[in-house]
Amino acid sequence: MYLYLYDNFLRSRKYDSLLSTIETRLTDFGIAGKIIRLQHLTNAESVINEEIRRGASTIVIVGDDKTFGSVLSKAAVCDVPFGFLPVGADNSIAKVLGIPVGLEACDVLSRRRKVKLDVGWFNNRYFVSRLHIPPSDITVEYDEQFKVSSTKGKIELVVCNLQPYTWKSRKSQDIVVHPQDGKLEAFLRPVVGKGIIKEKYDEPSIFPFEEMVVTSRKPFVVEADGKESKETKITIKLAKKRIEMIVGRERKF
Amino acid sequence: MFQKSTPPPMDTEYHAPTSPDNDDVETVVGPSVHVEGDFASEGNILVKGSVSGNVKTSKLLTVEKGAQILANVRAGSAHISGNIKGSVKVEDRIELTSSAQILGDITCSILVVEPGALVQGKVMMNGVSIAGGEEDGSQRSAVRTRRSSKQEDQEEQA
Repeated sequence: MYLYLYDNFLRSRKYDSLLSTIETRLTDFGIAGKIIRLQHLTNAESVINEEIRRGASTIVIVGDDKTFGSVLSKAAVCDVPFGFLPVGADNSIAKVLGIPVGLEACDVLSRRRKVKLDVGWFNNRYFVSRLHIPPSDITVEYDEQFKVSSTKGKIELVVCNLQPYTWKSRKSQDIVVHPQDGKLEAFLRPVVGKGIIKEKYDEPSIFPFEEMVVTSRKPFVVEADGKESKETKITIKLAKKRIEMIVGRERKF
Repeated sequence: MFQKSTPPPMDTEYHAPTSPDNDDVETVVGPSVHVEGDFASEGNILVKGSVSGNVKTSKLLTVEKGAQILANVRAGSAHISGNIKGSVKVEDRIELTSSAQILGDITCSILVVEPGALVQGKVMMNGVSIAGGEEDGSQRSAVRTRRSSKQEDQEEQA
C-alpha cells in the first residue's frame, strides 16, 4: 500500500489541477493510496511508523526540497522505501534523483527503480539536503587527519549531501563539484570584511569527507534541513545506505 | 537599511550546473584558508591557500600563484604556480609556470618548465635509457636554476 505525504503548501488552489491529474495518473498505474496532509507540527516519523503498522509499504513525499528534507530527516530511521513526487518551484534535489517535476514523476514512481542513499548525521539527527553554520569562530577537523582554519577570522560552513554544487568563477571557467559516492561535501567561506549591507566572503574551500568535527568556544548556530539549534561541538558523519529511495534513470550519482 | 544583516544563503552565490564538460575539482583549499595536517584526496586538488602537511592525490594537483605547501607532495599530475617546500613526486606530468618556486626534489615522467620558474633540488625523471651514462636512468638529475643558467652564460662569454 502506498502512503502519500502532501506538504501543507499544496493546499493552495494553484496546485489543485496538477494534483488531481497526478492522482488520476497514479490510479491508472494502480499505485494510488492514502493521502496525509502534513501540518507544521506533524511528526513525520510517528505518522510513518503508525502507517507502516497499518500496512503502508511505500511512503511517497509530495512537495519540494524543503518537504523532502523535513520528512526524511525524521523518517530516515523508518525501514520502508521512499518515493518523491516533486511539485512546486524549489526542486533541485529531484533533478539529482532523476525525477522530473510534475506529472512525469508518476512514471518514475511506478517503475520502482530503488537505490540506497547516504544520509548526513550530526549529534543524533539526520539531514538529507544541507547543513549550514552561519559565520562563526569555528575550527574544523576532518577525518581526524587535518585541521582547517581561516587566516581572517569567522567562517561560514555548508555541508552538502545530495546536491552537486557549482561555483561561478569571475576569472576562469565554472568549477563543478560532484558529490562523491560515500562522501559528504563541505564548503567553507571565510568572512573577509563587512560591506554596507552584508559580509564580504572570500572564495570557498571545498573538502569531501566522511567525518568532521566542528568546535568553538562560543555556541554557534547549526541549521540542518530547516531546523536550527545552538551547539559548541558537533560531529558530522555519513550514514551510508540509510534510505531506500525510488529514483529515475537520469539520476546524477 | 535597517534590515538584519544576515548573510544570504550560499546557493545565491552559486549557479546550477551548466555543462558537465567543465573541470571537475573535488577539493579546493581557498585563498584565506590554512590547512594543518596530512591532506589526502581521491580526486583533483586545487590549492589557493596554505597547507602545512603532506598532500596526496592520485589525480591532478593544482597549486595557484600565491599558494604555499610546506611538506611533501604526491600526485598523479601537477600544475604548479605557487610555492612548495618539500619533495614533489608526480607519476605523470608536472608543469611549472613562471611564478612557481620549488625547494625540494622533483620526481616525474614529463617535466614542463616555463621561463622564470625556480627549482632548487634534484629532478629525477623515469624512462631515461642512455647507454654508458654516469648514472642510472631513474636516478639522473637535471637541476637547473636561474642562478646556474646565468653562470653558464657567463662561462660561455668568457
